Amino acid sequence: MDKSSGPSTGRKREREEDAVPESEDTDQTLSLEENFMFTDTLVALRIMRAQFPHIDKVSIQPFILRSQLYSSVKDRTQVDRELESLRRERVLCIFKLNTGQDDHAIMFMDDYLNQIDWVVKRMEAKNQDDLAVFEWFRTHVIHSKVEPSIGHQELCSLLSSGGNVKDEHVSLLINAGLLTRQLIDPNMYWFAIPNIGSILKGLSQGRKELLSFLNRRKYKEMMLAPLEKKRLRLSSLDMRFHLRDLIGSGHLKTTQTPSGLIVRVSKD
Amino acid sequence: MWKEIRDRESGKVRPNLFTSRIRSNRVAALQLSNHKEIVSPHRGSVNSLQVDLTEGRYLLSGASDASIAVYDVQSATDYEGSGLVARHKSLFVVDKQHEQGHKYAISSAIWYPIDTGLFITGSYDHYINVWDTNATQVVTNFKMPGKVYRIAMSSLVTSHMLIAAGTEDVQVRLCDIASGAFAHTLSGHRDGVMTVEWSTSSEWVLVTGGCDGAIRFWDIRRAGCFRVLDQAHSQLGRRPPLLERSATNKGSTSKSLLAGQSSSVKSRAPQKKIAHGNGSKQSAVSRIPNQVKGSGRQRLHPGMLSSRDRATAHYGAVIGLKATEDGMYLLSAGSDSRLRLWDIESGCNTLVNFETVRLQTGKAIQLAITQDSAHVFVPCMTAVKAFDVWSGKTFLTFRGHYEYVNCCWYNSQDQELYTGGNDRQILVWSPSKMIHDETDEWRRKGQAPAQDQDNWSD
Repeated sequence: MDKSSGPSTGRKREREEDAVPESEDTDQTLSLEENFMFTDTLVALRIMRAQFPHIDKVSIQPFILRSQLYSSVKDRTQVDRELESLRRERVLCIFKLNTGQDDHAIMFMDDYLNQIDWVVKRMEAKNQDDLAVFEWFRTHVIHSKVEPSIGHQELCSLLSSGGNVKDEHVSLLINAGLLTRQLIDPNMYWFAIPNIGSILKGLSQGRKELLSFLNRRKYKEMMLAPLEKKRLRLSSLDMRFHLRDLIGSGHLKTTQTPSGLIVRVSKD
Repeated sequence: MWKEIRDRESGKVRPNLFTSRIRSNRVAALQLSNHKEIVSPHRGSVNSLQVDLTEGRYLLSGASDASIAVYDVQSATDYEGSGLVARHKSLFVVDKQHEQGHKYAISSAIWYPIDTGLFITGSYDHYINVWDTNATQVVTNFKMPGKVYRIAMSSLVTSHMLIAAGTEDVQVRLCDIASGAFAHTLSGHRDGVMTVEWSTSSEWVLVTGGCDGAIRFWDIRRAGCFRVLDQAHSQLGRRPPLLERSATNKGSTSKSLLAGQSSSVKSRAPQKKIAHGNGSKQSAVSRIPNQVKGSGRQRLHPGMLSSRDRATAHYGAVIGLKATEDGMYLLSAGSDSRLRLWDIESGCNTLVNFETVRLQTGKAIQLAITQDSAHVFVPCMTAVKAFDVWSGKTFLTFRGHYEYVNCCWYNSQDQELYTGGNDRQILVWSPSKMIHDETDEWRRKGQAPAQDQDNWSD
C-alpha cells in the first residue's frame, strides 16, 4: 500500500502553516463560535481557499476541486462524509464540472452568493430587465438545493414561490451561467458557477500540459520543489493547484526520497 | 496457530470466531499461487468465471471466442515441477465447432444453482443457451432482441426457475427454463442493461444496473421497480438507530415531487404515507415519485411510476454489481471509475470512498466479495484490487495479468481467488502453502505424489 498522500500532506501543510492565521483573519464566513470546531476537511478547504490564485482577467471567487481535498486529507471516506454533512448544513455548495468524469468543484456558500451578485450587477449594467428571477433563485432554489442537479419541473415549482415563472426566466438563468442543460437529459439542469468557462478550459489544458511535461522526461518524474516553481503556459491557475488536483485524482504519485518528495506519473 | 487450536479446544475461543480468524488470515496472505495453476484453452479474453454453488468444485469459464470450459479446482489433472505445481486442465471445452455452440463472444456463463447438471450461457449472438453438462448438448435456448450482457439465476430460489437476462435492449427479460418461454419483462431502464444480480436475501428481488447509470430493484411479482438508487441520497456510514434517523429525514429536504406545490412537501409526505398504506419506512416515502397526479399527464399504473424516476447511481454506466451475502449492502462499480456501497434497506449511498483510479469502460466486470463481507475484489484495469469494504482502503493488489482483467471469483471454501482477463489466462491466487515438508517425504519414499494418498492409503 503506498502512503503517498501522507508525506505530501505533511510537507505542503508545513509550508503553509503560517498562512493559516492570516486566512482566519480574513475569513469571516463563519462565526467565531464555529471556528473552534475544525474537521480536517474544513481546515483543508480554508487553506486551499486562501491559496487560490489571483486571476486578473476574470473575476471569480475561490473554488476547490474535490480531487485536491483527496490529496490533502488522508482518509477519503472521511472527506466524502464531511463534505456531505457540510453540504447539508449549507456551508458549502458542490457543483459538477464538465471537465472530466468525476470532477466536482466546492465553493463556500458565501462566495457563491457573492458570485451571483456580481453576475446580477453585470447584467444590470447591460440593461437587462426582469432580474427578479435571480432574487427568486437566491432565496428559494439555493436554500433548498441539496443536489448538484435539478429537474425542470422542480426548478419551476421552486421559483414560482417567488412569482410567476416563464420560460424566459429560465433562459435568463442559463445565460447568466447559473444553470447548464444536461447533455443526456433535456429536462435536467446542472447547477454551475457563473463565469467559470475560461478557467475550466485552463484547468483541462493545464492538466494535459503538466502530464505531458512529466511524460516527456526520461524517467517520467521530477522533484517536487523545482516542479512547483515552474509556470504553466496554458493555464491561468497556478502549478500548486494542478499538482494537488492530479495527485488526488491518481494520475501522479508522490514518493518520499532522501532528498525530498518526487512526483512521478503513475502507470495503472 | 497451535495456540488458537488449544484455545478452541478448551473453549476459550468460539468455533465460529476461530474459523473466521483463520479465513481472514488466509485472505490477507493471498498471492499468485505457487502450487496451483489452471490451463486455459481459450483463444479469446475470459469474460466470466463462476464456481458452482453446490459443491464449490467446478469452475465454469466463458470467453470471447465463444468457448466454454469447465475445470475441477479441487483435484488436479496432472502435476509438474516434480509434483509441486498442480495443473488443472479443463474437463471439457465447448467452442464454435460444436454445432449448437455460440457464434460470437460469450459474455456470461453461470451454473444452474441447484446442481451442476445444467449450465447456462449468454452470448453476443443474441442467444441464451441452456446446456446439459454431461452430454454437452443444448437443452433449450432463448432468443433475445439484442446482445446479452449478463444473465443470472437466483441462488436462494425454491419456487421458480427464472433466468434474468440483461441485454442491450432496455427491457430486462425473465426466461423460464421449465416452460421454455419468457415469463415477463421488466421495463424502466432507459438504456441497455449491463449487470443483473439476484438479491441474496429474497428469491423474488432482482437488482439491475443499466448503461444509463441507474440501479433498479425489481420485485418480480409486481410491475415496475420498487426502488431506484440515487447517488445524491446518502447516509454517513451505517444506518443510525431509528429515532435519530427520523430526525435527520425531517431536517434534510428532499426534492419536491409534487408539481406546483413546493413549500408543503414536508407536510405532504406523511399524508402520502398513509394514503399508500404499503408500510414503507419513512425514509423510503420521500423517494416514491408522485409527479403524475395533479399535472394532467396520462395516468400510469402505480407500479410503473418508477419509470419516471430518473435518479442515477453513477455518472456513467453501471458495470458491476455485487450484493453481500447477508443481503444488507450492495456494491456497484460504474464507468465513472467509482465504486459505491449502498445500504439496500434505506437505499442510501454510504459514501465510502474506494481508491479506484480507473475502471475499464465498455465491458462489464465481475466483482467478488468475501464471505464475511470484509473485503471486495475489484478488477481495476490490469490488476485486481482488494478493498476493505467499510474504510475503502486498498488492502491488497494482485498484479499478474498482462492485460485488462474482466472477471474474478472468490472461492470461500478454500479462500482462493480466480481471475480471468483479456490475456486469455485464468490465474489462481491462493494463500501460500508450505509444501517442502510433504515433498521431502515423497522423495524419501521414492514415489511420485499421487492425488489422494496419505500414510493410511492402500
